[in-house]
Amino acid sequence: MTVPASMPNELRERVLAASRAARSAGRSVPAVPEISAAEAFAVAAEAFVILLSALSPDEWRTTVLRDLDVQELVGHLIGVEHDVRRALAGDEDVADANHVESTQRWASAQEGRDPAQTMSDWRRAADDTLALVEATAAHHTGSVVSMHGMRLSVDALLVVRAFELWTHENDIRRAVGLPASVPDPSVLALMTDLAVQLLPHAVTRAGSTQPTDLHLVLTGAGGGTWDVPVGDLTDPGDPTDLTIVVDAVDFCRLVANRVAPEALDVHTEGDGAGGVLAAAATLALD
Amino acid sequence: MATAVAARISANPRADDLPIGTVRLVGSTSADALLAARIAAGDDRALADAFDAFAGPVYASAVRVLGNGSLAQDVVQDVFVDLWCHPEKYDESLGTLRTFLSVCARHHAHDLIRSELRRAAREERSERLIPPQREPSPPERFAAAETASEVRAAVELLPPGQREVVELAYFRGLSYRDVARETGLPEGTAKSRVRLALARLEVLLDRQLLESS
Repeated sequence: MTVPASMPNELRERVLAASRAARSAGRSVPAVPEISAAEAFAVAAEAFVILLSALSPDEWRTTVLRDLDVQELVGHLIGVEHDVRRALAGDEDVADANHVESTQRWASAQEGRDPAQTMSDWRRAADDTLALVEATAAHHTGSVVSMHGMRLSVDALLVVRAFELWTHENDIRRAVGLPASVPDPSVLALMTDLAVQLLPHAVTRAGSTQPTDLHLVLTGAGGGTWDVPVGDLTDPGDPTDLTIVVDAVDFCRLVANRVAPEALDVHTEGDGAGGVLAAAATLALD
Repeated sequence: MATAVAARISANPRADDLPIGTVRLVGSTSADALLAARIAAGDDRALADAFDAFAGPVYASAVRVLGNGSLAQDVVQDVFVDLWCHPEKYDESLGTLRTFLSVCARHHAHDLIRSELRRAAREERSERLIPPQREPSPPERFAAAETASEVRAAVELLPPGQREVVELAYFRGLSYRDVARETGLPEGTAKSRVRLALARLEVLLDRQLLESS
């Protein structure tokens, strides 16, 4: 630390304390408006519809993902909404259903249909999900929903849905040659927060046992700073300090498995960043 | 879709079309931009890093203007709290973070001087209306004499017409009406001349303080 002889050492702590009193650590500025998980899903769904509305008939036929064209991918999402409503209703059959296989028949069913019909069906499916969430809000307070191998609160499930819609929106954009989009900052804030909550499970699942005190800084609107212990927390050894700084949108692309860890523009301090970033990419449902 | 959010719904913005004031981390980020982006993300470790790297130059800039270490510490605090709360004010294209913070320190120091001058002027006016309750201590007498000496030196630099009305109003304690009678000016003219003289004095005193620091 470079402090002139005449500057008292205690000034550092005084300045840092005054700063933290003026603005809490962890939260990004400029602050973004807080929205509910249902609003985040609605915002992401509407952005998705706006993109679909702009596509030409030829673009609807463009292959996007897993040999699915745009229309079949939208069919997949209609199927996902169907499973969401089943999960909200307590149907145990969707708890461990495979995210791709369980929706394949919905994707296949779009063959030969007018894209406008597919878009209309998907919009209705998203509306039905929101209506069911609203109707059962009191019943679901604090409860856990099981779907496609995930066990999440209803709010977290809706944020996962918003996450998937933004991911597939960008899959389609990439396939038809449109520029990438970033999520609404309020939606992004919920997405980053959820991804960070899930990160320790992903690291453990990926087999990383080294106890690590992760200082994760996600920059840009909707980002923030988190201190997250990851690895084997029962290990009596001293945890390793690791700092990862990455753009919030890029981090979400990583979590969606749409960018490789080595392709990220990331700043790290300490060891083990590669393992943590690789684990983050395994959170994707695809 | 839920009607409650219909008003704010729109297509997602393009990745290269972010709102102004958003600090993002992008390719080939400089150390300064990285620090600012981390601070914007609420990373208080980055703020501590910024303090460690730049508090020295910031403090030195403040001391050069103020000539007073204690007040310079207040400026250091103001500058870093402002950086923490408004990191978006830093524009990497306009210079380094060190330069930006040093300029901020000089601005804060000048603001502090102006504020002190206004406070001193208010107190002086107030003291002329309210009789002193106690004898000033020796240090207070010394400080007062020093201030009075600086003010008198500045008054000497005023144009003769303005100097005359200031001396009548402040050194002889005359009312505006008496100043007007003494100088043969209409009362309104005397008042506006005193106001002009005070504004000029503030600038002169600012300059004197800067030159002496």
